[in-house]
Amino acid sequence: MLGADADGLVAAHVLARGGHRVTVIAERPTQRTSGWIPPALAQELGVTSREPPEPWLRAPLLDGGVLELSGDVTRSADAIRHISPRDAERWPRFCERMATLARLLAEIYIGPPPSLVDLRFAVRVRRLGRAAMEDMMRLLPMPVAELLDDWFDSHELKGALATFGVRNVHQGPRSAGTAFVLLHHHVGNPPGVFRPPRSDLVAQLGSRSGVALRVGRLGRITVRGERVTGVMLQSGEAIAADLVVSALSPRRTLAELIEPGMLDPDLVRAARHIRARGVAATVALTLERPAAFSTLTLAPSVDYVERSYDDIKYRRASVQPWIDVVAKDASAEMHCQYLPHGSPVDVAPILQKVAPHLPPVTNTQVIPHDDCPDGQPLQAELALDQALWMRPLPELSGYRTPIEGLWLGGPAMHPGIAGLCGYNCARQIMRGA
Amino acid sequence: MKRYDAIIVGGGHNGLTCAAYLARAGRKVLVLERRERVGGAAMSEEVFPGFRFSVFSYVVSLLRPEIIRELELSRHGLQILPLESTLTPLPNGDYLAQWSDHDQNRRELARHSARDADAYDEFGLLLHRMARAVKPLLGVAPPDPASLDPRELWELWQLGRYFRALPEKDLHALWKLLTMSCADYLDEWFESEALKGTKSASGIIGTLLGPRSPGTAYVLLHHYMGELDGVFRAWGFARGGNGSVSAAIAAAAQAHGAEIRTQAPVAKIFVSRARASAVVLENGEELHAPVIVSGADPRRTFLGLVGEAELPDDFAASIKRYKFRGSSAKVNLALAEPPRFTCLPQPGPHLRGAVSISPSVEYLERAYDDAKYGEISQRPYMDIIMPSMLDPSMAPPGKHVMSIFVQYAPYHLSGGGWNDARREELGDTVVKTLAEYAPNLPGAILHRQVVTPADIERIVGLSEGNIFQGELSLQQMFFLRPAPAWARYRTPIRGLYQCGAGTHPGGGVMGAAGRNAAMAILKGRA
Repeated sequence: MLGADADGLVAAHVLARGGHRVTVIAERPTQRTSGWIPPALAQELGVTSREPPEPWLRAPLLDGGVLELSGDVTRSADAIRHISPRDAERWPRFCERMATLARLLAEIYIGPPPSLVDLRFAVRVRRLGRAAMEDMMRLLPMPVAELLDDWFDSHELKGALATFGVRNVHQGPRSAGTAFVLLHHHVGNPPGVFRPPRSDLVAQLGSRSGVALRVGRLGRITVRGERVTGVMLQSGEAIAADLVVSALSPRRTLAELIEPGMLDPDLVRAARHIRARGVAATVALTLERPAAFSTLTLAPSVDYVERSYDDIKYRRASVQPWIDVVAKDASAEMHCQYLPHGSPVDVAPILQKVAPHLPPVTNTQVIPHDDCPDGQPLQAELALDQALWMRPLPELSGYRTPIEGLWLGGPAMHPGIAGLCGYNCARQIMRGA
Repeated sequence: MKRYDAIIVGGGHNGLTCAAYLARAGRKVLVLERRERVGGAAMSEEVFPGFRFSVFSYVVSLLRPEIIRELELSRHGLQILPLESTLTPLPNGDYLAQWSDHDQNRRELARHSARDADAYDEFGLLLHRMARAVKPLLGVAPPDPASLDPRELWELWQLGRYFRALPEKDLHALWKLLTMSCADYLDEWFESEALKGTKSASGIIGTLLGPRSPGTAYVLLHHYMGELDGVFRAWGFARGGNGSVSAAIAAAAQAHGAEIRTQAPVAKIFVSRARASAVVLENGEELHAPVIVSGADPRRTFLGLVGEAELPDDFAASIKRYKFRGSSAKVNLALAEPPRFTCLPQPGPHLRGAVSISPSVEYLERAYDDAKYGEISQRPYMDIIMPSMLDPSMAPPGKHVMSIFVQYAPYHLSGGGWNDARREELGDTVVKTLAEYAPNLPGAILHRQVVTPADIERIVGLSEGNIFQGELSLQQMFFLRPAPAWARYRTPIRGLYQCGAGTHPGGGVMGAAGRNAAMAILKGRA
């Protein structure tokens, strides 16, 4: 198993439970969080998921007030009523419609993606009924800005929600396909909660026995004939295995770790073209005392988010990035977008923006995304041409590679939720074995 | 009182096409046109003495070959002159030219990038294959995927089978084209900025989207659909201007017995008990027919002519959220001499083709950034042709006409709507930008006509000046155009049909919507 992040660990433990002798090779310590844990995975590995923060959205208003949205749809509607009675009235129906669509996604997120012309999938979509089906077809290719305009008036509500449609993608809220991203992050949440679910699979599984853990730098994946035979570390040590599962990016796995000439050059070229641009910086904050809230989102309007996107199109850091803070006790994690990967992060002006809302900050640390190519945490941006049957490439969407015994199970795979990709991959392997 | 089998509201090229097909099938047809001439946005006019312009739409690229054939348009006077090249002048004084001659084109591309010259052929082949896969869809009424009607289910099944029969590789390539942005798609193929800029320009035409917006790659295909036919080239110019296309279709319709009345503005489509049975003209005259076909866009048809009160609620809601957001303008110039481009100052074959001001993807994206917040692009994208170079009858001897398609000029301007000052500002911006590439241009201008999206709306009646009768974005295409469940040219009002570009397959001087609507009507009554 290559990679010891959530996907690697989940896949390793599922395979170990299935009778495989598994060694996980960790190239460097990772601390990455994971996403939604479906009940099947929770049960199989005995892991637990986290409740969403409450309230899950807290956005300061221009007039000095605060908009707080919680898992209680009625309470959220009451909060929205202060800024727009019309939006408050529409909130429950919006939540219900989105939850219906998210349930469909949740179904196809467990297991390999359906094919584009999968009849069973078509029938399942049809069974949703006309309204939900029309919603689905219209919504998938939509810009999140347009979706929110369909429903709401309030700039502050729309701005804050729009951030979940562009989180970690190199797109602005007016770009097509971002409504899908909003829906994607809704999967696994109760109705009315749009913050992506988070879990700590790495912490839960990292020290669990049953698999061997090795720290080392990978040299290459060894192949004989059309079959994988193991891996070679940079130290020169060879580890033999009938099965190699890589949770590293497809680009690294196929274009760098496999000797050139082993694979179809078209496939290698396509793997190199997988878009994985990093657009955000994560900054860990240490606070003087616990914050009075669990989340804070600074994105006052859709235009504000769109303008901050304009900068990164020309490879500049946003002058006014949108900011999302999740606080726990006296520490907090700050997500700032859009900042191009690789450029130095100037923390001072960002801190200045959040300072009025936080207790004094005693220490900051920019968390590098060096373990992902180009700084994209999902290793492949979530876009319609890199989602579902296209993720990360149509010819790799079944977790298999053309080399027998070599599988892909990282976050670049379907469905693009850290932890679940490894789970799907391991189950595919066991089904085939 | 005279009785008709069908009344067509609006004599644009789609309305005329629909009329021609209905008349050809023996129906008694009347076309009602508000203006003093037919053609809608496909019309030619002598704007300044001696200078003729295709005031709005200006090239022919997609007119369906079966329409040319079946309506015998050549016999009715249609002649299409090919545009042989596209010239993209660059700010550094160089240029990129694309020629219809394969070897010449390859040599020119190789001058910029040997890799691109190699990739270009493969790219062309792929798009040809994709275009061939999509083409059959242009001529069908999109079945409603939620329908329970056995006939539609059968069509759905056929459609599903058609796609399942395509090689999986092609299917995925098609999905990529549908969902990617031009910029990302072209980045996978090419490295030359000028080539990527010029190619991606075709993806943004008529929309308020930039080349980095997903969904724009699809429009790249349209170029290749024309090229496939062999009947005429991808881009052509109709002798006498685009009005000749409409005139030829009108002549064909009349030859089959259709009646055309101009200066007959329709005030209302009369509906009783969810059935359309008559139209009322502005002068009060009532005309009856069991079939009313509207060539106007969905907003004008349903919210204007029919009235919201007659519509089911969810349908009215769909029509209201249907997006127009016109973003294009036209500047028509009468010139005393041809432009001398700094990159190619001598007169030559490049003046008989198109000239594209699209030096890079970034240039287009910046133009879009202005428009996104309601401003006219500081440096707009322009697609220029000089009809008088191909057809000397368009201008007095020695003089020329230049047609400039401009984007972006958003319909919704920040700080108030369009007025004379903003119109002139747009004209000045265009001339100033163009002068950077052809310095003699400002001095050569004899007359200038600027057509803003507001003008397009006022004169031709296209809502928000959208040249496609509604944006061609994914959520407004195929069985979602103009509204889910009503993409088969029928409407919730019995007896009322639509035949404009606001239905599948959308805009461009294509005629497909008009023909498909006629087929749907004839099938429904057979």
